[in-house]
Amino acid sequence: MTKMNKDGFCNGQDHWHGFGLPGRPAPRGASRRDFLYAGFAGGLGLTLGGLLKHESAQAAQKHYETKEGQAKSVIHIFLPGGCAHQETWDPKPYAPIEYRGPLGTVKTNVDGQVFSQNLRRTATIADKLCVIRSMTHGEAAHERGTHNMFTGYRPSPAISFPSYGSVVSHEFGPRKSMPQYVCIPNQPNEYAGSGYLSSMYGPFSLGSDPASGGFKVRDLTLPGGISVERFEKRRSILATVDEHFRKLEKSDNLDAMDAFYQRAYAMISSKHAREAFNVAAEPEAMKNRYGKNQAGMRMLMARRLVEAGVRMVTMTYGGWDMHQRIRDSINRQVPSFDQAFHALITDLDQRGLLKSTLVMVSSEFGRTPKINKDDGRDHWPKVFSVVLAGGGIKGGAFYGTSDATASEPDLNPVTVQDLAQTVYNRMGIVGDKELMAPGDRPMEIVDGGKPISDVLA
Amino acid sequence: MTTKQTFIAALALFLVIAVTVVANARTLVDVKVFPPDIDLTTQRDRQSVVVQAVFDDGVTQDVTMQANYSFADPKLVKLDGYTIHPVADGQTQLKVEYAGRAVMLPVKVKDATKDRPISFKLDVMPVFMKAGCNAGSCHGAARGKDGFMLSLFGYDPDGDYNRIVRELAGRRINLSLPEQSLLLEKGVGKVNHTGGELFKEGGELYNETLRWIKAGAPRDANDIAKPVGIDVTPTRIVLEGENSTQRLTVRARYSDGTTRDVSHLAAYITSNATSADIDEAGVITAHQRGEAFVMARFDTFTVGAQVIVIPKGLKYDWPNPPANNYIDELAYAKLKKLRITPSDLCDDQTFMRRAYIDIAGTLPTREEFDRFMNDKSPDKRTKLVDELLDRKEFAEIWVMKFAELLQIRSDGNRRMSYKATLLYYNWLQERIANNVPMNQIVQELLGSTGGTFTNPATNYYQVETQTLKVAENVAQVFMGMRIQCAQCHNHPFDRWTMDDYYSFAAFFSQVGRKRAEDPREQVIYNRGGGEVNHPIGNRVMAPKFLGGDAPETRGKDRRQILAQWLASPENPFFARNLSNIVWAHFFGQGIIEPVDDVRVSNPPSNPELLDELAKRFTDYNYDFKKLVRDICTSRTYQLATRPNPSNELDSRNFAKQSIRRMRAEVLLDAISQATGTKNKFRGLPLGARAVQIADGNVSTYFLTTFGRATRETVCSCEVVMEPNLSQALHLLNGPTVNAKITQGGVVAKLLAEKNTPQQIIETLYVRTLGRTPTQQETEKLAPLTKETDPAKLKENLEDLFWALMNSKEFIFNH
Repeated sequence: MTKMNKDGFCNGQDHWHGFGLPGRPAPRGASRRDFLYAGFAGGLGLTLGGLLKHESAQAAQKHYETKEGQAKSVIHIFLPGGCAHQETWDPKPYAPIEYRGPLGTVKTNVDGQVFSQNLRRTATIADKLCVIRSMTHGEAAHERGTHNMFTGYRPSPAISFPSYGSVVSHEFGPRKSMPQYVCIPNQPNEYAGSGYLSSMYGPFSLGSDPASGGFKVRDLTLPGGISVERFEKRRSILATVDEHFRKLEKSDNLDAMDAFYQRAYAMISSKHAREAFNVAAEPEAMKNRYGKNQAGMRMLMARRLVEAGVRMVTMTYGGWDMHQRIRDSINRQVPSFDQAFHALITDLDQRGLLKSTLVMVSSEFGRTPKINKDDGRDHWPKVFSVVLAGGGIKGGAFYGTSDATASEPDLNPVTVQDLAQTVYNRMGIVGDKELMAPGDRPMEIVDGGKPISDVLA
Repeated sequence: MTTKQTFIAALALFLVIAVTVVANARTLVDVKVFPPDIDLTTQRDRQSVVVQAVFDDGVTQDVTMQANYSFADPKLVKLDGYTIHPVADGQTQLKVEYAGRAVMLPVKVKDATKDRPISFKLDVMPVFMKAGCNAGSCHGAARGKDGFMLSLFGYDPDGDYNRIVRELAGRRINLSLPEQSLLLEKGVGKVNHTGGELFKEGGELYNETLRWIKAGAPRDANDIAKPVGIDVTPTRIVLEGENSTQRLTVRARYSDGTTRDVSHLAAYITSNATSADIDEAGVITAHQRGEAFVMARFDTFTVGAQVIVIPKGLKYDWPNPPANNYIDELAYAKLKKLRITPSDLCDDQTFMRRAYIDIAGTLPTREEFDRFMNDKSPDKRTKLVDELLDRKEFAEIWVMKFAELLQIRSDGNRRMSYKATLLYYNWLQERIANNVPMNQIVQELLGSTGGTFTNPATNYYQVETQTLKVAENVAQVFMGMRIQCAQCHNHPFDRWTMDDYYSFAAFFSQVGRKRAEDPREQVIYNRGGGEVNHPIGNRVMAPKFLGGDAPETRGKDRRQILAQWLASPENPFFARNLSNIVWAHFFGQGIIEPVDDVRVSNPPSNPELLDELAKRFTDYNYDFKKLVRDICTSRTYQLATRPNPSNELDSRNFAKQSIRRMRAEVLLDAISQATGTKNKFRGLPLGARAVQIADGNVSTYFLTTFGRATRETVCSCEVVMEPNLSQALHLLNGPTVNAKITQGGVVAKLLAEKNTPQQIIETLYVRTLGRTPTQQETEKLAPLTKETDPAKLKENLEDLFWALMNSKEFIFNH
């Protein structure tokens, strides 16, 4: 099924279209493949040639074997709204006050590097982090910036791209009966979905916030009054009822539904899987260490899920669109992030999971260099910061710099594609591999960019 | 083997051969010659012809090479292969003969000895397209490539001229040594060029460009003729056997009335090279069995032809199924061409459940089921369709669907207050329930003025307030077209140019909005001023219909003029688009799919069928109830979902029905109906159906999980039909199914009414699956009924009830 980008926006024109391949000669005549690249979304669903057509299209796909890399799991902590890099990872204490902003700094345990003052606990583990201070892209609208950071692609009016999590689900099977890709608390935006891939690779959403009282993941446990035995009986009756239809009918969406039922059974019947979602089972001390708040409980849940076998956890925390009174908003949100993030990294480390878990903190963009008339900062995609840790990423690395006023990348700019290549590389996925989009249109997982070799451990 | 046996065997063999021969023998029914006339102006002009033989079984053959050509006056022209060149002025006739048939073509030659001056726009710009220079991956990218930019597919020829001739003066064009112009040296790959060799030195593309440079790289006069369209022929091609070929001819029409053979300048593309590939010269070659759409692109025009490829000597017997109406006839015509046999008719139970869900969004009740199954009249299916069409639930389904297209959704008093949302919904509901013709509804909507409370149709301009976005939404919803691309450049895969885009947007540039007394209400009015400017050159764009004329709008409300045209037979897209949307509802996909992505490069799978539906819909005065009746009474709608070997892999030609998950609202209503329970949604009384929810912003966990449209955009992709893990978990463990079984007390009631367990099983099957259990199911489920403890028996039956609602047969409409 062809899925279109809902917004259908088209603000720029260097999204890709043409009869030729990027970086390759334009076609002489028209080869099928070139044409597929040209964005023909499958118009005629094809007939008997369909199967063969599909096979030959596959033969033309760039293929690489995906093998588990150093990062077995990824925790993506997304700060929606556009987190000010100046008030977090990239303060400019020597800039004029209107650029510097209202906050001071704190020394990290890496020589010569400072964070903004609220990140005081995180500053003590900077040697485990890789801080990229030269992230850059050109999208100053929330949804477009978000699209970049979730898919590694610039938005296209013609194609809906899969998110990191969906690509990971596509490339790896489930581990220990756990869904591959989980969102805390919900799928945060439309770009965090399966894009052109089958909905089978979409995220499993918890459905409620681990920080809320009485938090429970919906529908994981059998309803009251239904014992395991009775559920088994129900399943066997269901098998009887389904048999008639199964014998008669065949279709892709029936298969997908079947697959989800099988996965649901596996989760319901696995104590391990159900327990993974039971964040309440954590000792009180552990909850206090992370903080009994949105940041703390979500990160604690993320750690539980990764430990249980989830490959990609995507969580959001707070709201960072601070157009006004940035000091108050930062002071309100950063301390609990600081506590939780510090707890997450040290906890993963103590459990021996940091080596195999890549943690990424990102936002759709940074904020304007100058404080505005409302004591806030506005959208700024030209330069901002992303933090990586664990999962085969060097610790204590400060990669790239922004200029003196945090306005532009100064050294080693990192593109959206570079970041995606880096994350996929650590997971063992080759970014150049092509997946099949509708209309038998092969699409690279990441179009261009290179893994940042300097930060790979 | 006895003599007799040998004789019989031989006879049998003979018969087989005879039958095979008969199967392959076909009769020529028509010879077509393209183009229909030859019109040559100036000595450089030329015209190639294509001759196509059409046989009685639909197969076509390119017989250009086999045909004989003669001219009534051979002195006027010269024939070179199948290309005609001018020699002397005058008029004559071309006679094309093939297999005893003759076709006459008028030939006109003018200015046969005059040379046409070289033109940048007419001769050089097409080179960039043909060679791929201005493709998006090359110099057509927004910032160009390797320091040189061309407008994407040539949307800005004047800009391209400046970049080639004026930018870095002397670098790209060498007037003193034209052959050494970088433009040419790069093009032929003589110097390092990322794109490699794009045309041959001495070839036509090269020579035309060279001729232009030699002429001093002149800028075109302002009044130079512009292409106004292209014709690609033949348009219907059915090739039999691998490697059979068909050449296309492409003729451009210009604003000065001349035509030109641009077959050599057009860029060719195919949707499916595995079945039908096309080369640079426009020759299609058949490969695997299947279907393809081949297109030629020249200037801003893309026009296509349908190609069907069938294997040679395929044994195929059309089973001659009855046709209930025109829909079947047109669907069959396509299937015959493809050599596909439709599936069988579905049985009565399947039909009944399907029709209930599709037409009314409900399940049949036990009583309705019994009545229909016991009805022995031959036209009972038609009677059922008529009955369902008169139910209010039919209107409610369509109110819901249009509420999605109109994005009826409150947004917490930002623009759409809850009150305005409700009024808007009620307005729509009242119109559809009273069967107001669709054209009238759309005209009222688009031309509306007044307060958003007093005239709720005006909310259309409150839901979206940006001029360009309103124009895009109107095109997408009412014409099925996504014109967004043309905001920044000519649409790469469709006919729409930036001019079209901005002139269409100009209809919405004078919408005024002001606060009414109630802060939640806005007044929409005609400001009578305000224009849309073209981003290139900042021209003020006069309003012009998409694909139509520029009407006189002075002193009038532009929107009303647009509304009158848009929802009328003048607009070829309106009826087609709505017919396609209606069709898609009953088949799970449109004849054009997705329904809101109509473009040249996404053609209908059955254009004749879509055209006829649109024509009927117009003739019915836009009463879509009548259209739905045609669709649901057709045999095509009533086909089984079970495939046969010939239609197994086909998904686009309606040779079988499709299996579709019930949409979120309908599924929740179905579960509630089966279990006899009520829901409470915000703003609606207890027991209202999910289909009736007015506000896109009101939802429940169930509805969200099953993909109810949020109505945040007009996209048809808003309704999510894909399954996910949360859906499976929710049906298995969630309160919707589990709690409703207990709440509704259906099983308890049936037991209290002294039904036997066997009868209860049957009733539960009918309530959910719309059928009675099979013999095998009855046997397998028998142990459930053996329970003597009444509580346990009830539990068993409720478990069955649970299983039925978790079965795919329930969740899916089939």
